[in-house]
Amino acid sequence: MTWKPEAEELELRRRYADQLGGPEAVATHHSKGRLTVRERIAGLCDPASFQEVGKLAGKGTYVDGKLAGVVPAPYVMGLARIDGRPVAIGGEDFTVRGGTSWGSDRRKGGQGGFVEDLAHEYRIPLVNLIDGAGGSVTSAARRGHTVFPGVHGFERSVQLMGEVPVVCAVMGTAAGGPAGRAILAHWSVMVKDTSQVFAAGPPVVERSLGQKLTKEELGGAHVAVDMAGTIDNAARDEADCFAMIRRYLSYMPGNVWELPPVAATDDPPDRREEALLDIVPRERRQPYNMRKLIALVVDRDSTFEIQPTFGRAIITLLARMNGKVVGVIANNPMVNGGAMDVKAARKQTHFLQLCDTFHIPIIFLVDVPGFMVGLQAEQAATLREGMKSVYAALQATVPMLTVVIRKCYGMAGMGTTDKNGLDFKIAWPSAEWGSLPVEGGVAAAYRREIESAPDPQKRLRELEAELRAYASPLLTAEAFAVEDVIDPRETRAYLCRFIDAMQGRLATTVGVKLRAGVPP
Amino acid sequence: MARKEVKSEITGSVWKIVKQPGDGVGEEDALMILESMKMEIPVLAEANGTLAELAVKEGDPVTEGQLLAVLDV
Repeated sequence: MTWKPEAEELELRRRYADQLGGPEAVATHHSKGRLTVRERIAGLCDPASFQEVGKLAGKGTYVDGKLAGVVPAPYVMGLARIDGRPVAIGGEDFTVRGGTSWGSDRRKGGQGGFVEDLAHEYRIPLVNLIDGAGGSVTSAARRGHTVFPGVHGFERSVQLMGEVPVVCAVMGTAAGGPAGRAILAHWSVMVKDTSQVFAAGPPVVERSLGQKLTKEELGGAHVAVDMAGTIDNAARDEADCFAMIRRYLSYMPGNVWELPPVAATDDPPDRREEALLDIVPRERRQPYNMRKLIALVVDRDSTFEIQPTFGRAIITLLARMNGKVVGVIANNPMVNGGAMDVKAARKQTHFLQLCDTFHIPIIFLVDVPGFMVGLQAEQAATLREGMKSVYAALQATVPMLTVVIRKCYGMAGMGTTDKNGLDFKIAWPSAEWGSLPVEGGVAAAYRREIESAPDPQKRLRELEAELRAYASPLLTAEAFAVEDVIDPRETRAYLCRFIDAMQGRLATTVGVKLRAGVPP
Repeated sequence: MARKEVKSEITGSVWKIVKQPGDGVGEEDALMILESMKMEIPVLAEANGTLAELAVKEGDPVTEGQLLAVLDV
């Protein structure tokens, strides 16, 4: 006797699963410029690395007790490899009932479920390929009662945020639960034109507020990525999206008990870039290209920018220094003169906590005149969000290196220093600092003297010039109140030495980072 | 020939107009310089072409997203 008949039935059931919602549903899905969930997993993961789990789940139909067909569960998941490293991966199958939940004994994934338990138990990254619209009022008719909001499993989604890298990719139109799930990620991405994300879609919005909007107007990448920062990055198409996910994960450890992988590099750590000597204009009012500056310092072609189009007064990117992963936080003088507004503050807070959680040392390249000022900024709660980012910096325990490129003022300036650690600050000769810039402070501090002068404007300028004479960073270095002033061309070599030296220390503080207290 | 709108990425004011309507512009040429947070922020052409219209003049306040100029590219 053999089990061949059962083996053949298994094969048949797997073929049904491979057909997803059937050729018509798949063709409709393709016609919208979208890949199926199986194509997505194949496109993202290492070839032949996907070990599916739960492929038999679905609803079988039987004729005279014989299997006649299976509508597969609208969720595909399992174990796979990306760049040789294991990941738990899953995604809704939109071709089966729009990827909505389907009432199995155990959830496969989506919000909690087996795939998230797998990531938790094996301490491996989770990749969510989101393509579902969430709950439907039709479920009440099916069940005979309405369902209390939320599912068991979402608490796992929250727990994972402290344990393993979580990537959420919005691949279609996501609303409700799947949209919420997309936000619970260390890094999220969506596809331009073919994916949208919102709390509720156009029909609900029209009914609630009378606003007539298309899906794209309401939750396309321009809104969700560029304006709101709800999702971190936008990809050109699905292939670009997979490349970005692979790239992002290449900087991440498998979990918080490991250190990020070190890459081989042929970029000499002591590379000296002449261009750095004149990248910052002597005229203080003229900005410069901070992204160019960063590219000259870090390992060649090693950067991956997080939230490149949101909160543009700050640049946050992952990069490598002599092969080791670092997080770079740099002010962008081209936007608000580098002043921290609400969006920049929110972006900096998230990035700081990301780096702290995964033991990625931070390099601050500082050119910040302070928090953004003005009525709009006050109304937007810049002070509160700004202090939240300062709080995050003062709570973080991962080593930070501070390089002051130009301005470093006020609370926003303080938030760029490693107060829990070595408090190591180095500066370029172009650096200047204080509690506030001279030109803003003189009029307030010397008001009476200026007003009573025969020529108040002249006196104002004289006072400014007097105070500016104390502004040389070399005077602060004499007092060892800044640890060093360096030739800009030495920046890479100097930083690489310290990044190399701190690797042993990083290994002593792996594990879950607990953050007590209430952020403001 | 297509028309390309140039919008302000920042809130501030127009400090200096560099190019006038009819002027040829090259990619990355400064069309005008805005002043924001005491910094002079150049507004750069995204492509080669001709400046068709200016929507602002020196001294005008501008907000993020406001139309500054139109290029023929």
